[in-house]
Amino acid sequence: MMTSSLWLAMSGPAALLAASLLPAIKPDLSHQAVNRMAAVASGVAGAAAFATAIGVATLGALHTPALAISGIGFGLYLDSVSATMFCLVSFIGAIVLRYSFTYMDGDPGQIRFIRLMCLTLAAVLTLAISGNLLQFTLAWSATSLALHRLLVFYAERPAAVIAARKKFLASRLGDLFLVAAMLLLYAAFGSLDYESMFSAAQAMRGQGAIPLGVQIAAVLMVFAGLLKSAQFPVHGWLIEVMETPTPVSALLHAGIINAGGFLVLRFTDVISLSLTSMDLLAVIGGFTALFGSVVMLTQTSIKVSLAWSTIAQMGFMMMECGLGAFAAALLHIVAHSLYKAHAFLSSGSVIDIARASWTPSPGGKPHPFRLIFSIAGVLLVTLLFSLLTGATPARQPGVFALGAVLLLGLIHLVANGIDERPNAYVVVRTLALAAVVAAAYFGLQLVAEQMFAGALPKTEALRGPLGIAIVALIVLSFATVTFLQGMVPRHATEPRWQALYVHVANGFYVNTITNRLVLHYWPGPAPTSVPVRLPIVLREHP
Amino acid sequence: MSDVIDREAPAAVLAPTPLLRHAIERACRRIAPVWPLKNFVAVNPFLGFSDRSFHATCAMLHRVARIDTLMPRAFYREAIRNGTIETADLAAALAAAPADWRLPTEAAELLKLADNDRIARKPPAVVATVAEVLNELAAGDRHVARTAFMTDEISRWCAAYFDEGQSVWRMPARGLRPYAAWRAWVRYDRNPEMMGIARFRALVADMPDDYVAAIATVIERLGIPARAVEDYLHQALLEIGGWAAYARYLMWNHELAGDRDDTLEQLLAIRVVWGYTLFAQRTDTAFREAWRRAMEQAALPPLDDQLGGDPDFCINMVLQEAYEIAFRRRLLDRLAGAPAARTAGARPAVQAAFCIDVRSEVYRRAMESVGDGVETVGFAGFFGFPIEFVPIGHVTGRAHCPVLLRPQFTVCEAVGGTSEEEDSEILVMRLLRRRVRKAWKSFKLSAVSSFIYVETAGLLFAGKILSDSLAVTRTVHDPNTDGLDDDLIGRLGPRIEPRPVGGRATGFDPAQRVAMAEAVLRAMSMTGPFARLVMLTGHGSTTVNNPHASGLDCGACGGHTGEANARVAAAILNDPDVRVALRQRGIDIPDDTVFLGCLHDTTTDVIRLFDIEQLPASHADDLRRLRALLAKATSLTRLERAALLGIARGAATEQQVVTRSRDWAQVRPEWGLAGNASFIAAPRARTRGIDLGGRSFLHDYDWQQDKDFGTLQLIMTAPMVVASWINLQYYGSTVNNAAFGAGNKVLHNVVGTLGVLEGNAGDLKVGLPWQSVHDGSRFVHEPLRLTVLIEAPLEAINGVIAKNDIVRELVDHHWLHLYAISPQGRVSHAYRGHLLWQQLEERSES
Repeated sequence: MMTSSLWLAMSGPAALLAASLLPAIKPDLSHQAVNRMAAVASGVAGAAAFATAIGVATLGALHTPALAISGIGFGLYLDSVSATMFCLVSFIGAIVLRYSFTYMDGDPGQIRFIRLMCLTLAAVLTLAISGNLLQFTLAWSATSLALHRLLVFYAERPAAVIAARKKFLASRLGDLFLVAAMLLLYAAFGSLDYESMFSAAQAMRGQGAIPLGVQIAAVLMVFAGLLKSAQFPVHGWLIEVMETPTPVSALLHAGIINAGGFLVLRFTDVISLSLTSMDLLAVIGGFTALFGSVVMLTQTSIKVSLAWSTIAQMGFMMMECGLGAFAAALLHIVAHSLYKAHAFLSSGSVIDIARASWTPSPGGKPHPFRLIFSIAGVLLVTLLFSLLTGATPARQPGVFALGAVLLLGLIHLVANGIDERPNAYVVVRTLALAAVVAAAYFGLQLVAEQMFAGALPKTEALRGPLGIAIVALIVLSFATVTFLQGMVPRHATEPRWQALYVHVANGFYVNTITNRLVLHYWPGPAPTSVPVRLPIVLREHP
Repeated sequence: MSDVIDREAPAAVLAPTPLLRHAIERACRRIAPVWPLKNFVAVNPFLGFSDRSFHATCAMLHRVARIDTLMPRAFYREAIRNGTIETADLAAALAAAPADWRLPTEAAELLKLADNDRIARKPPAVVATVAEVLNELAAGDRHVARTAFMTDEISRWCAAYFDEGQSVWRMPARGLRPYAAWRAWVRYDRNPEMMGIARFRALVADMPDDYVAAIATVIERLGIPARAVEDYLHQALLEIGGWAAYARYLMWNHELAGDRDDTLEQLLAIRVVWGYTLFAQRTDTAFREAWRRAMEQAALPPLDDQLGGDPDFCINMVLQEAYEIAFRRRLLDRLAGAPAARTAGARPAVQAAFCIDVRSEVYRRAMESVGDGVETVGFAGFFGFPIEFVPIGHVTGRAHCPVLLRPQFTVCEAVGGTSEEEDSEILVMRLLRRRVRKAWKSFKLSAVSSFIYVETAGLLFAGKILSDSLAVTRTVHDPNTDGLDDDLIGRLGPRIEPRPVGGRATGFDPAQRVAMAEAVLRAMSMTGPFARLVMLTGHGSTTVNNPHASGLDCGACGGHTGEANARVAAAILNDPDVRVALRQRGIDIPDDTVFLGCLHDTTTDVIRLFDIEQLPASHADDLRRLRALLAKATSLTRLERAALLGIARGAATEQQVVTRSRDWAQVRPEWGLAGNASFIAAPRARTRGIDLGGRSFLHDYDWQQDKDFGTLQLIMTAPMVVASWINLQYYGSTVNNAAFGAGNKVLHNVVGTLGVLEGNAGDLKVGLPWQSVHDGSRFVHEPLRLTVLIEAPLEAINGVIAKNDIVRELVDHHWLHLYAISPQGRVSHAYRGHLLWQQLEERSES
């Protein structure tokens, strides 16, 4: 197969770009026509992604020769990582576009909306299959700029503008980090082409001497990724961007927010050269994971609580990267995207769930000794499982922390099946569920390891005393949170717990401080454009 | 008030005066309730103003809160341009306008004025709150003024306090009353101080513990003039109007049960104390000066009843009147063309009773047009059975009756043809499944386990998102059948046999059955002759992923589907013992008459027939014929509705109607009651054969059968009031969606599983989404006050008006337009207020 035919992969982003730009040339197109074009474009993107995946699966990693002057330019790099992202984003993109056709029908800006969605998708897809760091950086910025215009789709909404401004600042800071990293890496490797960079990095790893410039570049990339994926303390914008139609949230939470994680995974070869950057990922990711998921517990609106959940899940994914479990991190990106896209698009259904749920709880209060029972139960199942399959979390020390989190999760699941009046059916069912979860977990991890074996380094072993300390800290804090959450129902009204509740519900005030700073340093009336006025036309009299 | 407030001194605690208590009470009563999304019934947003006229209310809202309650003038201009409003309508509106409105005398002059948008308009006196003055100083930027922050903070607190199940870690202090719970929260809450509101916690802590005393203290410190206190408190509530409306709903429920509830008053205290903390920040001269001026202005007397103060407002008002006159002119013309009444007496082939809901009109017309001898009847969709319906496994039920009433009977859901043992087995299974599901949900949503959930179950959503997108699956289980085996679902139904359940009597004993059966038949004016099949048709909607779904269900059934009520009514009317007793009371139902409980799906216009397995074999042919008839009627109705939904006419039209009902992205699955404009209580003969465009509530009423006018009283106090609520809800959401509507549906964010926010924060939204009244290029609802036509003697109508305050306020204060139909079937008199009627001229046939 000619490598030049690889450029066909670009037909996906190109088609979406065309769908986005064509209406500018022909302004009299109806919204139906624009929708049809977008649908065709997303179909082309889907086909290109599928073909890429088939190609990569049969032929292994592929890349075009750099279309570049001394390593700076364009290229495509297609391996299991980029093919996965390509498929994921074009799938979610197609679903979200299809949703938007109906959802936005009748909105005065519906054509603009579809065009911006296409533009954003084109940028994300270009990012996913990019083979040159310059192209990556450009696509990275383009994604954020296109998204910015979606975030202020209703420019007359002041809250939308404030959130978008916050996002804008975080993104530009991220851009700055990425550009700086790019310059440092070019200085070190003499090329921005992935192929040359990655092989040079591996050579460097073999020699064991890592130049300071590369180490700094790795840390800068990590910071760029953390900024993109709304990690603590710059998470605030993500919880406030529901001022724009639901499909944008779905695309953002399922497609764009992953770019930070993708950056880390794409440049694993470079980033893992710096232990500091790995430790940063583990610590900031782990902290954000717990911070986000605890705050999520107190949130009262569906979309805001989904946003906190995204912050937490991105944190967990970053932590997995930091622990060296790269395949697990990519699996997490894919699974989370699918879950979160569905959760946003179906967020109106939360009322049905509320209508179906009945109070009081049929099983009575939680059983006082349920944690003990469930720990025993889970340990038993785990033991049985590892006896049968020979797989133990301890075999790979690098994933020890993740194994511990799995156990905590299972304990929580089983504990919730044990009520004041325990019932065999419920307990057996939850135990069975726990067993299925455990099996699925190990199965999926194995598959992911296999699938991404060529593209991502094997899960790394522990890295010295600091690494061990970080793992211990992670396990300890995840365990603490699990058990504290179990204590909430019984102790909630004690003053200390009340205070904690208020602080948590406020997200520890970080976002308020950011808002105040933004209002102070970037004030000015929000609506720059005149609010869209609909034509006032009567219903025809029959 | 001193110009400089000593910020260090503790708040002087003021004893609340009875006058203040009265002002608080009245300010709170001005807020209309909003029902939670699980039964989102229509509410008249002007409910709190029914003691004053429509015009005075509009003027007052304009003055106090600068809320518009009329369309922009361009709207009326368009109506004049395209001939909807004719010059004669303008002249009629001018003639009817009060003298003090300062209007031109000639329609031509009015036309000229209508061509201009409002010119110089002197700002009317406004009773300002602290927030208003701050906004003005910040040039309208509510974020810079921190007033948006205040609304967000109160809203977020309310969401946590009232949360019905969104958060996992719930507010610990929610057991306290609101004001105390809020202060318990504020004790730890550093958020306002982080935003720059200094000493927020201290300022709140210094307030009295008693919420009325706190309001008194704030009013004293702000220096609100006595005259303006009520307006000030009302305006303060409007800034958190959505949550105030929810608190008003809680109050409504308590009052229906005979209790008092002060949730709303406590919320008011929270709001004014919050405002005070903003006030205390600003000691600068600019603010203090602006505040002093605002208070001077607030002391001026209001001019609500004399609109003359604002000529521009008067012009819009008279244009609105002309617009309504134009609608009535067309409606009356149309009614005058009714085909001659059919001779009564013959036994109809089939009878079908529907809810008065405007959506039934389309279906009834279709049904009558496709079959000979089809007789349809309009009646409130709960069929007179105010029941609490308890689904399997639930402890308490839902009130399936208009929200004005309290349920009188409890009916449990049961699986047909099962023994008691099987029943309890089904119940236990449902509860156990629910417990497992609860454990799984907790696994999904907890702090640590949620990561494992995503890594193991997340991939499954690849299939789910695809099948939901293609409408193959539903996003979540249908709440009505969740946790039940599929083979049971078709056999579910209400159980009417009397049986004590959980210490409460459920079902109906023989005496109750007879009394209810007689009441419903007489109220429907359905006393014979009876057809072999009589359909009692409730209605419900089918939508997916729609937070406002219950708003499309039956309002007469309290925002639920009418299935349970229709089936209960049919079962009781089929009871042989009831038939015997009815015969003694003069209603002879032939033995071969069978009542069928049915459900009209207003989204897809399919009619489901229930309990047909109990139909005797002798009726198999009747059933077959009925089904064929219904299939044709469904087709016709869909075609008629498709036009308004913007579905192109073609082979796939009907399929598209069905697809819409399953589409998770659909923001306009159906048009609901959009377009509603009239209410007609008369025999069907007056309207039969006339296309009313799905815009009329049709209630069958034959005054000659109504001996003491008890049924008339019932119609005017319940269905007419409910219709007016619905009508005014649509009116409000159309003329000013920002104030009375739920805003843009694509931004909706369900909060506390009870309401929606628009975007990520802000106040709770009330009313209807923008998408429910506008299709993107035009209004599908026309803002018209309800035109009510009743066929009954004037004295009888006057008798009901005189006896019932609610009715009197509605008609005397012009919240609706009342007309009487003469025994000859002509709309003969217009109600002019104070029990006076004006005879209408005979319309010439031209």
